[in-house]
Amino acid sequence: MIAYKFLRSDGRGVFTGFRWPLPDGAPGGWVHADIDPCRSGIHACRLRDLPLWFGAELYEIELDGDVVREQSKLVAARARLLRRIDRWDDGLRADYVSWCAGRAHEMARGAALDGYDVMVDPCAAQGGASVGFVVARIAEELHGMDGYRAERGRQADWLAQRLGVSSRPVS
Amino acid sequence: MRARGYGRRSNGISMADNTEHITCQEVVDLVSDYIEAALPSEQAALFEQHLNFCGGCMNYVEQLRTTVASVGALREEAVPADVKAELLAAFRDWRRT
Amino acid sequence: MTSATVTREEADLLERLRAGDERAFEALVESYYGTMLSIAQTYVRTRSVAEEVVQDAWLGVLKGLDRFEGRSSLKTWIISIVVNIAKTRGVRESRSVPFATLAAGDDEPAVSADRFRSANDAFPGHWWTPPADWRALPQDVLLGRETLHVVTRAIAALPDAQRTVITMRDLAGCSAEEVCETLAISEGNQRVLLHRARARVRAALERHLDG
Repeated sequence: MIAYKFLRSDGRGVFTGFRWPLPDGAPGGWVHADIDPCRSGIHACRLRDLPLWFGAELYEIELDGDVVREQSKLVAARARLLRRIDRWDDGLRADYVSWCAGRAHEMARGAALDGYDVMVDPCAAQGGASVGFVVARIAEELHGMDGYRAERGRQADWLAQRLGVSSRPVS
Repeated sequence: MRARGYGRRSNGISMADNTEHITCQEVVDLVSDYIEAALPSEQAALFEQHLNFCGGCMNYVEQLRTTVASVGALREEAVPADVKAELLAAFRDWRRT
Repeated sequence: MTSATVTREEADLLERLRAGDERAFEALVESYYGTMLSIAQTYVRTRSVAEEVVQDAWLGVLKGLDRFEGRSSLKTWIISIVVNIAKTRGVRESRSVPFATLAAGDDEPAVSADRFRSANDAFPGHWWTPPADWRALPQDVLLGRETLHVVTRAIAALPDAQRTVITMRDLAGCSAEEVCETLAISEGNQRVLLHRARARVRAALERHLDG
């Protein structure tokens, strides 16, 4: 199945530092890992997971074999990077941050949530994952967990559209 | 970034069943287990997700890793020559008995 | 990750030691001396006493070598000998631990609660003053003499069980399994002790590095 994966700018995993074989015209080499639910496996995002896992670079990744579906990610035993998604760049990230910050201010000020409102700009300075979280939290404050999830869905849709990747049925 | 079960928020909706995110205080409690790879995967995912948007906690995790490394660095000292000679003498004595 | 019994390498080494192979013993001393001295220094007051502790520990190793059955790894066995001798010596010195007042009870949180935003805040549980980025510090500060001294003193100030666990795990590199067996504690207990010990040493480092 096709999914997405963020990496650091040097091609290494964001949390593991694992050096991925990068695609170069052709897909990168296959990477194997044991799926050990508490320890290891290859992590990847569905579209709806994207806002949670930002990294410097975004790739399309092909997962093979057993794939475990978890709440906010997929875990696979075998995968390879298919292509770099070039549309994910500093410009798009900046647009995303602006969009999130705008929504955050609008919702916070609309509901007089000053405590949240003052956090928006400092978090926006930290980047997309940070400010995306703040927006989702404000939505949660206003409308509970349904609000949180709806806002995250909105973020995923925004990203999918701008990245030019199709919205797949939720699996 | 609220903890589970923190009780009612200002608009009266309970946070008790929130499993979508963890707080910085929870990160601090879990970090040793995380670097031991002893967290269940669900928690490890929430943990890493949090690091993604919290530079403070990312720094804390790095500080803890540095702490472990600095404790390990204590073991580096080489054996002084006279100490080694004494110990070798003791070894020969031991072998003779 | 070292196993909880003698490894093949260690078994070979044992055979050579028992056969009187001096080079094998020299290699053993070189491998463990630094670790043993560092451990001793977290239990006793002065370096010269620590050196005596290590000397006694090696004599203890030699005395026990023929009888050693390999039920734990050789490494764990050697480490536990030095820990025991160091503890005994530390108690006999009746060292007044000036840091004893700082080392509060075991219920102390890893990071003081006032570092975090309170329940009334928009982001309860979030950092007030986030921790600093130590990656910006030069390596020779992080691993320099002064810093390592601070780390040694911090370990020395820990409650006994925490000190032993962090010493065996992070200083000597023993596995969790080995520590649990040596101290006869559960895996969960070991993790809690390690967590608390690391948190305290980190806090001491933070006070030193962030000034």
